[in-house]
Amino acid sequence: MKDILEKVNHKDGMTVPDGYFADFAAKMAESLPVQDWEKPQPKVMPRSVWQKVRPYIYMAAMFMGVWCMMKMFDLMRSDSSGLSIDGNPVMTAALANDHFINEYFINEGEISDYQLMEDLYETGFDIEAYEEEMTDDSVNQGRDIPDAPGFPLSNI
Amino acid sequence: MAKETNLDDMNLVARLRDPATCRDAFGEVIRIYSEPLYKQIRRMVQTHDDANDLLQNTFLKAWQSIENFRGEAKLSTWLHKIAINESITFLEKERKRLGLSIDDEESHLINLIEADTYVDGEELEKKLREAVASLPEKQRLVFNMRYYDEMKYEQMSEILGTSVGALKASYHLAVKKIEQYFDDAD
Repeated sequence: MKDILEKVNHKDGMTVPDGYFADFAAKMAESLPVQDWEKPQPKVMPRSVWQKVRPYIYMAAMFMGVWCMMKMFDLMRSDSSGLSIDGNPVMTAALANDHFINEYFINEGEISDYQLMEDLYETGFDIEAYEEEMTDDSVNQGRDIPDAPGFPLSNI
Repeated sequence: MAKETNLDDMNLVARLRDPATCRDAFGEVIRIYSEPLYKQIRRMVQTHDDANDLLQNTFLKAWQSIENFRGEAKLSTWLHKIAINESITFLEKERKRLGLSIDDEESHLINLIEADTYVDGEELEKKLREAVASLPEKQRLVFNMRYYDEMKYEQMSEILGTSVGALKASYHLAVKKIEQYFDDAD
């Protein structure tokens, strides 16, 4: 038996067509499908600062919105102390301050210059005649100035 | 020489792992390994046409799973494993397609050897091929790798996942059976 294996000398007697391996290698290499990792990868643009912080800004805005909404609901409640004067220390202090009351609330008796002049014109006051009289007055010093007819200044 | 081959293999594996050089490197793998893999496949399936198809499938599968090849196993070991799996799967499919039992397969393979046109005409070589074809599948693989490819038992063990001791026993048994085959033929 060993003689047979020695005689054959590791040869199998199989052959291939001429140039088979060279052709095979060339054709095989050409027919290899393109793999996903061979395809050019799309360029990934770096994220801007705004893109990075945007979700956090949106989230913060959402929380602010919710907080404002809750505050509004709280103020609109009938038993809320938010709009009552009694429970509001700022309003209490303001009402206790006389200067504040006089300056901002009790101003009904005050008359502006404009209103005064308007009333004068409506009652027929002649500003030229008045100016003339005022000039004469400087000449006739010491004399009493009579009231203009139909316009008693003492009534003002 | 073995050291040189190892270095070449390492260099090739490094290029295979780089996407920029992978395709060229794989072309080189095809050039280097197409002949040994072809012979291994052909000794199992016997005909040139089937061996050609299976060799293409082997390289295609290797290419498709090249990403998974980490270089932990030797490149040749990995390729031989794929080629053997392809051959065994093909033989199973053929058995089913032709409705053959494992025993019938022996005569089927011998018929293929008889009809093979790509042979150099040496009668003794052909007779040995027929004797090998009469062996069970695993023994046939072991005998081919040890006798024709002159592969070391350690590498065979890596490829087939069998212990060296079992491979030696299997080869010894295969030689005995071939001897018996020649005795019966005389």
